[in-house]
Amino acid sequence: MEVEQEKPSLENVEARQQEKQRGEEVVVVEEEEEQQQGVEEGEENANVLQFMDSMDAYLTLSHSLSSTLRQGWLELASARHSMGASRVNTVLLDHKFHPAATTLLVTRDEGKVDSMKQHFTLCKWASSGNEKCSLGEAKSSQDKLHPQLRHRGSSQLYEEKTASEHKASHEVDDQVQKERSKSLSVFGTLVSPKLRAAQLSFETALETLVEIANTRSAMLCAFDKVNKKLGGSKG
Amino acid sequence: MANRAQIRTSNSALIAMIADEDTVVGFLLAGVGNVDLRRKTNYLIVDSKTTVKQIEDAFKEFIAREDIAVVLISQYVANMIRFLVDSYNKPVPAILEIPSKDHPYDPAHDSVLSRVKYLFSTESVASGRR
Repeated sequence: MEVEQEKPSLENVEARQQEKQRGEEVVVVEEEEEQQQGVEEGEENANVLQFMDSMDAYLTLSHSLSSTLRQGWLELASARHSMGASRVNTVLLDHKFHPAATTLLVTRDEGKVDSMKQHFTLCKWASSGNEKCSLGEAKSSQDKLHPQLRHRGSSQLYEEKTASEHKASHEVDDQVQKERSKSLSVFGTLVSPKLRAAQLSFETALETLVEIANTRSAMLCAFDKVNKKLGGSKG
Repeated sequence: MANRAQIRTSNSALIAMIADEDTVVGFLLAGVGNVDLRRKTNYLIVDSKTTVKQIEDAFKEFIAREDIAVVLISQYVANMIRFLVDSYNKPVPAILEIPSKDHPYDPAHDSVLSRVKYLFSTESVASGRR
């Protein structure tokens, strides 16, 4: 009789222990789900913030571009006024074969294999092998010019390296000035300083446009992520 | 994934322009102008005599060319071919709408901003809260 009484109480204890275990497992699963939700919400918030930031940058850069272009148009109008309308005219444009001196470098954004985000880099006055956008080339050309520097003392090496860097940068600047003059020569040998100023303004506008292109790419990428999430929550 | 557009990577891609005379002259001064062996240029100067068909043809040509990474188009010109500009959704070349002397930039007409503005509409906000 006593053994029979013990059995149900043992069974009760086991059943209670099993229930307790199940309850703990449920709690653990719920905690894991909450954590996962938290991570997803964090990612969602990050995507939304990235989208808003890039949209703000896009609008700010567009405003800046408008100001730069306005300045360029004003300088061009001043140049036309001083040089004459017949000298600052599209009729004078060169229609013979010539490559663009200012180009773009387009690369896919690194990090993610399936990333659709592309990156634009402006290469100003890149003809004649002088690529201003590529810093690596300037460094390698310095090494080619002075291979024997490796064998000298460290302070002398530093001075000579600085001097060679200055020389290389002067050479690059000279090349850029030559390219600028070549571009201006379409409108004659002697041009108004306003035309040179207009050239610089439009160069600045180009730099802003490349920033706008990159911001646009970031904005559309962030928009796709946010859109996918919204599409998922609707379904 | 199978329908995603391929991104072209390029070492020296061009900037194309469809804009008024002063804008094109300005950017040509900055060294953007390119004339190939067939005497084809990477720009179209839009004036009072330019037809919508010419603008459409130039736009279609520039977006199909492999060597062009960015197309600059004056916003008032883009408005003439708005259906074509808004239906374009590839990453490269990037279409950038720019102001002109007589027509300032209007964000409300920008094709990129139009594409994303629905996120701020009441419909999308309500559906996100469900």
